[in-house]
Amino acid sequence: MFLRVLSASFRAEIIKLFRSPFLIALVMVQAVTFLFLVTLFGLTGAFAPTALIDYDKGPLAKEFVKNLENAHHSFSLMFNYDYKKALEEIRHGNLVAIIMIPQGFSKAIAASRTAPIGVVIDNIDTDMSMDIQRALPSAITDFGRNQGFKEIRVESAEKDLIDHDTDFVTYMVVSALVLAALVISGILSGVAVASEFESKTVEFLAVSPIHPLVVFIGRVLAANIVSVIGLTVAVAVGLIGWGIKPLYPLQMAGVLLVSVFIFGLVGMALGVSMKKAFPVASFIFGVALPLYLFSGTYEPERFDGNLLWAMAHFTPLYYAVGIIEHAVLGLKVTPESVTVNYLALAGWALLALYVSWRLTRKNILS
Amino acid sequence: MIKRLWSIARLDLILWRRTPFAIAAAVIPPIGMAMVLVTLSLAVLQQPVALVVDGKGPNAQKMQRIIQTDSDAYFLTITDAKIAQRMLDTQEVAAVITIPSDFDEKVAKGEAEVGYVLNNVDIDFSDDIRRSVDRSVAQFDAPQLKLDAEEEEEGPAGSVNPEADNQYLPNPYRVDVYKRDLRQTNVEWFSYQTVSAFILLILNVGLMGTALLSAQDIERKTSLYLVVSPTPSWQLMAGRILGGLIAVMIALLPALILAAYFKVISPPLTHWPALAAIFTTTALAASGLGALLGALFKGSRLIAMAASVVSTYLFLLGGGFTTIAFVPQWVRNLSAFVPTRYAIDGMRQALFYNNLDGVVLDLIILSSTAILTIALGSFAVRKSQLV
Repeated sequence: MFLRVLSASFRAEIIKLFRSPFLIALVMVQAVTFLFLVTLFGLTGAFAPTALIDYDKGPLAKEFVKNLENAHHSFSLMFNYDYKKALEEIRHGNLVAIIMIPQGFSKAIAASRTAPIGVVIDNIDTDMSMDIQRALPSAITDFGRNQGFKEIRVESAEKDLIDHDTDFVTYMVVSALVLAALVISGILSGVAVASEFESKTVEFLAVSPIHPLVVFIGRVLAANIVSVIGLTVAVAVGLIGWGIKPLYPLQMAGVLLVSVFIFGLVGMALGVSMKKAFPVASFIFGVALPLYLFSGTYEPERFDGNLLWAMAHFTPLYYAVGIIEHAVLGLKVTPESVTVNYLALAGWALLALYVSWRLTRKNILS
Repeated sequence: MIKRLWSIARLDLILWRRTPFAIAAAVIPPIGMAMVLVTLSLAVLQQPVALVVDGKGPNAQKMQRIIQTDSDAYFLTITDAKIAQRMLDTQEVAAVITIPSDFDEKVAKGEAEVGYVLNNVDIDFSDDIRRSVDRSVAQFDAPQLKLDAEEEEEGPAGSVNPEADNQYLPNPYRVDVYKRDLRQTNVEWFSYQTVSAFILLILNVGLMGTALLSAQDIERKTSLYLVVSPTPSWQLMAGRILGGLIAVMIALLPALILAAYFKVISPPLTHWPALAAIFTTTALAASGLGALLGALFKGSRLIAMAASVVSTYLFLLGGGFTTIAFVPQWVRNLSAFVPTRYAIDGMRQALFYNNLDGVVLDLIILSSTAILTIALGSFAVRKSQLV
């Protein structure tokens, strides 16, 4: 009986979903959209657009420019500006900084004198202006070291925990896969369940001999199929587009399937609670963006402080990000192990089922 | 005509009022985002770092002081090597900086090193730490290279003269920086990011809300009555947009008042009318796009997904999390077709800049978007009447 009802509701939802090829297309677009658009955040995390005006053009000025270019992904140097034009651009918010190397720079340094460079910073955004204020001394210390100036007494010596650096955009694309799973699966499942309340079919389910939750789960599973199709496209685009080769492809597939299912159950719980499609969709879309900021999607969450880290434990996205970053890039971004993260996701699934079960009867009767 | 518009708008507002979950769903995410931003603003500019000081001499102490006082860069824990390692393992810190026991001796020989172990999971924060450590090291021999904004004199940017005499100090790196900030004060990170929370609120209430209310019309079959009524289709669209606009304003006004009261936003007094116009036209454009989606598509699933896709583009490609002027040219070209870009640009201009350059263009584009959605939506409604 249980399986018959489950498969019947699954079939009904599948027929409904596949009747609209446009919906399937939109699901795919949404999955890829998240992947593409979150990378914009990464594009401005580094490489501040900076006008470089070299009045000197000597060999040491050229060396210094090289050091600026290599200063930990800090500057995107633009060379075709004069001061007037650069000032106009910075005032319009198109440049973050202007760096000017004065005439006589190379000569002064070669003669063991100190030469000043001129810098204008648009300090509208503290984050960017801080980056520049740190990057300039970094470039200057590198310059001094590379030139072998004897008066320098201290150097920094870096040792990395990981033998390679991971690009910011790559890191975010991987996290974005589970974010896309949340949005697609959550909205499709939530709306499917809420529609039962809106169309009042839930009244018939209330008098049926089986718990309406079984019907809802059937619908969620159908929504999951469409979500998986959308996500497969996103994974293909993400991996090929950004040239990412997953270290553990099976684990990656596993966590994405688990995420789709669990976020579907979360969507179901929201659908049962809200009973209307429009708050469900609006809520899931709305929370996806703040969740993006504190689920470890752009750096290990604990680096943002213990308060945010503690808060992040109350979102399933945190655990999913922990697993997928490990599966694709081999990174450990949560102090918890992958197994603990899987268990926490299972806990979320049980919680969503429990909430749905508790609220279904109550909401049908009300 | 106004009565008709108002009737349609009122219907939507009543539906909002009768659906407390809808109100909660619309306002909780922006509130959540604001809370996350507040918390992030406490940590986003600093990186958690452990400092181990093994050296005991005056130079080691000097180096310690330099690192310790750079609270802009580090959220510092001074501890021993064992605890520091544990903190690194449990991600309590992203790096461990060590001032070695032979630091003073090595300084005397000009061979000292400040070592650091970095959890280089991604380059964003790793680079922040690399730059910060380099700056601390630079300060040891050249204190002026801290380039602290607060210590800098304000001066008009045009007065920068890199060759100005006596404006720099000699140092072993032989390069000094003569820095000028473009504006008197930095805009706090949280204030700068508030625009995202406002945009999310407008999209969530205006676009998603209006689109999904249209879907509800179809589910409840009220759309049938609406399309056979003598009301012209453009008035149906305009009424729906008016409803969306009022709903946005009801949600937005308290948020704006709170933000202004707590000085999260404090634009010049003369910028308030421009800001009000930007918020209104943005709400109109968002509601217009929502109503258009509602008129174009049938079924709550389709409308929900379409609204979610459009909102995602509008938020992220409009510059919700980023400054579009700083992204590659092709993305900038793409975002030229995204109305929220003009909303965000306009809001930032009015909130953080001294002039209103470009705001008129932003307003024209946002208003045109609203008008265009009414025209296209009316066409879609008329078409649905014919089918």
